[in-house]
Amino acid sequence: MLLMQINTAFIIEKVILISVILMGSLGVAMYATWAERKVAAIMQDRIGPNRAGPFGLFQPLADGLKLFFKEEIIPDRSTRFLFILGPCLAMLTACMTSTVVPWGPDYVTSAGRVISLQVADINIGILFVFGVVSLGVYGIMLGGWASNNKFSLLSSIRAASQAISYELAMGISLIALLMMTGSLSLRDIVSQQHGFWDGHWFTWNVFKQPLGFIIFLICSFAELNRAPFDLPEAESELNMGYHQEYSSMKLGFYLFAEYINLFVSSAIIITLFWGGYNFPFMDKVAGGVSPLLFTIVCVLVLLTKVIMMILFFMFIRWTLPRFRYDQLMRLGWKSLIPLALVNMLITGGVILWVLK
Amino acid sequence: MKAIIAATISGVILMFAGILVKEKKNAVTLAVILLLALLGVNIYEVVSTPAAAPQAFFNNMLRIDRYAVWFNTLLTGCTLLYVLLIGKEIAKVGSHVAEYFALICFILCGLYILSGYNNMLMLFLGIEIISIPQYILAGSDKKNLKSSEASLKYFLMGAFSTGILLMGITLLYGATGSFYITNFTFLQADSLNVLALAGIILVMIALSFKVSAAPFHMWTPDVYDGAPTAFTAFMATVAKAAAFIAFLRLFQVAFGSLSNSWTLVLSVITAATLFVGNITAVFQQSVKRMLAYSSIAQAGFMLFAVISVNAIAWQGIIIYAVAYSVATIGIFAVLLKLKDYTYDGFNGLAQKEPTLAFVATIFLLSLAGIPLTGGFMAKYYVLSAAMQQGHLMWLVIFALLMAAISVYYYFRVIIAMYFKPGNPELNSPVTQTDKFLLILTCAIVLLIGIFPQLFLSV
Amino acid sequence: MYEVLFWFLTIMAIGCALGVILSRNPVNSVLFLIATFFAISGHYLLLNAQFLAVVNIIVYAGAIMVLFLFVMMLMNLNADVEPQKSRLAQLAGMIAGGVLFLVILAALRTASLSVLDKQSNDIGLIKNLGKVLFTQYVLPFEISSVLFLSAIIGAVVISRKEEVHSTVADGSVNTSDIK
Repeated sequence: MLLMQINTAFIIEKVILISVILMGSLGVAMYATWAERKVAAIMQDRIGPNRAGPFGLFQPLADGLKLFFKEEIIPDRSTRFLFILGPCLAMLTACMTSTVVPWGPDYVTSAGRVISLQVADINIGILFVFGVVSLGVYGIMLGGWASNNKFSLLSSIRAASQAISYELAMGISLIALLMMTGSLSLRDIVSQQHGFWDGHWFTWNVFKQPLGFIIFLICSFAELNRAPFDLPEAESELNMGYHQEYSSMKLGFYLFAEYINLFVSSAIIITLFWGGYNFPFMDKVAGGVSPLLFTIVCVLVLLTKVIMMILFFMFIRWTLPRFRYDQLMRLGWKSLIPLALVNMLITGGVILWVLK
Repeated sequence: MKAIIAATISGVILMFAGILVKEKKNAVTLAVILLLALLGVNIYEVVSTPAAAPQAFFNNMLRIDRYAVWFNTLLTGCTLLYVLLIGKEIAKVGSHVAEYFALICFILCGLYILSGYNNMLMLFLGIEIISIPQYILAGSDKKNLKSSEASLKYFLMGAFSTGILLMGITLLYGATGSFYITNFTFLQADSLNVLALAGIILVMIALSFKVSAAPFHMWTPDVYDGAPTAFTAFMATVAKAAAFIAFLRLFQVAFGSLSNSWTLVLSVITAATLFVGNITAVFQQSVKRMLAYSSIAQAGFMLFAVISVNAIAWQGIIIYAVAYSVATIGIFAVLLKLKDYTYDGFNGLAQKEPTLAFVATIFLLSLAGIPLTGGFMAKYYVLSAAMQQGHLMWLVIFALLMAAISVYYYFRVIIAMYFKPGNPELNSPVTQTDKFLLILTCAIVLLIGIFPQLFLSV
Repeated sequence: MYEVLFWFLTIMAIGCALGVILSRNPVNSVLFLIATFFAISGHYLLLNAQFLAVVNIIVYAGAIMVLFLFVMMLMNLNADVEPQKSRLAQLAGMIAGGVLFLVILAALRTASLSVLDKQSNDIGLIKNLGKVLFTQYVLPFEISSVLFLSAIIGAVVISRKEEVHSTVADGSVNTSDIK
């Protein structure tokens, strides 16, 4: 099957792609920390980091360097193996999701070789994302438990129950979308959103599934443990959260994994709902420029959208206050899940009676 | 098929009634109305199902014949009787009365599936649909530790036995390549397939667990004793009968032609069940616990129907299920009236409440299998089914011996009621309606004993 | 390649399954179980049942085992509280288990694999699975909703607090029950 097609060129191509994506997501995550601080500063009428380099641009590097050189402390009473496994899992799952995102259209070289800008096009792409995301919570749970600290444990339990509760609504809102697309492959979903206007209606899914998008977005906030749902890290209640006992680069892994998750989730939201790398009048652009340039433009369009999405996440974080835990659960179970179900029913009805 | 849908809808209606109906009494009334409707649907099914061939539904997943719908009808009738007799007590267990009735409706849905399944998947679903509500009903008295213990114990062991059932189904699928019990290809194969045999044994173990046959009976006394008495009455009767019809169906329809290879194992299980149930029941001090052991003993008798691969076995199980269910529901209804569940608690009941004592006597006589009661006819049918097999004489004689022992512990209650002085405390006064219903139940028990044909004619 | 993967996954599955029952620490058991699910998902992938593989991970590893871990962490179990069975029970269990193992081994040794259907290789793909589920197996699929509904009702019945006024009324009954 799949294993037959492997040849050297294919492997090299994929290795390069994987490295680029990995480096890219690390880089974006790094500068997301910087952006977060800048955004916070601007919103709070401060200056923000401005010492390391122009506009404080070297600040993330300095932070990373600092974390590397910190003393590494493993608490005496902790479960050592799990204590180390926790941040590793968090980082691993964060990096894995980006494999199924199509970062750009296929690039056809002059020799006729098709180079896909997607690491793996598996036909259950979006379910793969779900699978990996659902595992992400293990990193937090194991780390929190292994620390042998009650605040860490409480925080990890919060994280786990929050993630499970919101995964349901997220899944149901996605089912409505999948009913429209008829495919689980992210590649198909993106190519269905080609251009912007198909003559009757917008092609982007956000215009077909507005309610689904809103539910998905809210759930993404919860899945990412970001404000207003950042209860696992509620400093005022839990000191610091599940990573209280962590220091040095293990702490760095946790913090970093969060920003990688932010980046990848944004990419997936963009891919699912905002047309991925598609943009208005792309056919005209494709006709006017060389294929290589067109591919680059597409990738840039995707990245722009993703960055806008990340900024949106940040604006929300610095705008809204944190939910209380029971409010969070009530919102998840009593509002979002019924809403997602209604959305699914409406979508089903529309597909059955209107679109036929 | 209509009955399955109707049972599900009734369950859903009752579930929503949990929000809307505040008065407990109204929930009971609603349940009675829905069960009446369900009985009506079942009778309609009896009338509309052709007598000759079974009807296949949904790619042969279900094959429902006249016999199955008749069985369903009778057991739905038993459930109705149960709710009429014990409904008031159910309302006292906890605050989720409508939900309890919803669960009972789901168990009925499971029963309808189990009486007509033709596919191992449906068997699995049916077994689970009757099991999960039972786990919950066992633990519904949340303030009582014993109830919670019963629920947890039942759940853990039940989950384990379900695992064994699934393993058995897997092996059978591996051996035959089919989930359809009528298509099992080993029926034609000459050589004995070890894979299939291992599967049959595993399925047998799992189903023996569900019908509480020894040595898989360990959960029964604790669960039946710990669960709220109102629900024990249902779990020991209708739910058990549902597991039995599944057992019978599988072993007659699917494994009937292989009976040489499993009869011995099942006979040993039967003998062990009879022995453990009857002997242990003798030593009990609490009537409720005695009834739990007696239900194991009665399961031993019902297993005779499973062992004997012939037409009388089918008739036997129907008579046995109904006679045993009605009598057990009746005796539990009497038990629920009393405060003290020990034998001493029955002392002098005949003086205080003659009607109660009289009906209890009839129920106990029926359970013991005294002629003119339903229990006698039931035992007669299942044992004659075994006799017809020829080589099971030893088991029949053993069963008769055990039946004689059972007389001892059933009569202990009767003796306590009639010949011992005492002033039993009652939970609630025995109303005119109670008396009427108990005497009606009593009449049914006698009717089965005198005219068993009435319950067989389909 | 296929063979290598198969054996790797099989050894992983069996090894981790043994780890589940052999490890002293319940949390480690849970983690081994998760690893077992991964190995089994790998097997599903080898059988080209991608949907099943991913759903196995999402549902079992991602949700159910998280809840398991949850309970384990809250109960703070460790090897000391583990109940010790008597030697005799251990021995009996070992013999019974061993005999069952032998029987199944014998069964599998003589089993012919003729029933394996090698043609329908794509049944695990989501489209085919959906079609089969909604045509041939539609009844079990729909009936399982009854099962889930009863489980949901059960969760509500078990977990919701009873109203206060019934405590007083039932108190007397309970004491006599315990007696």
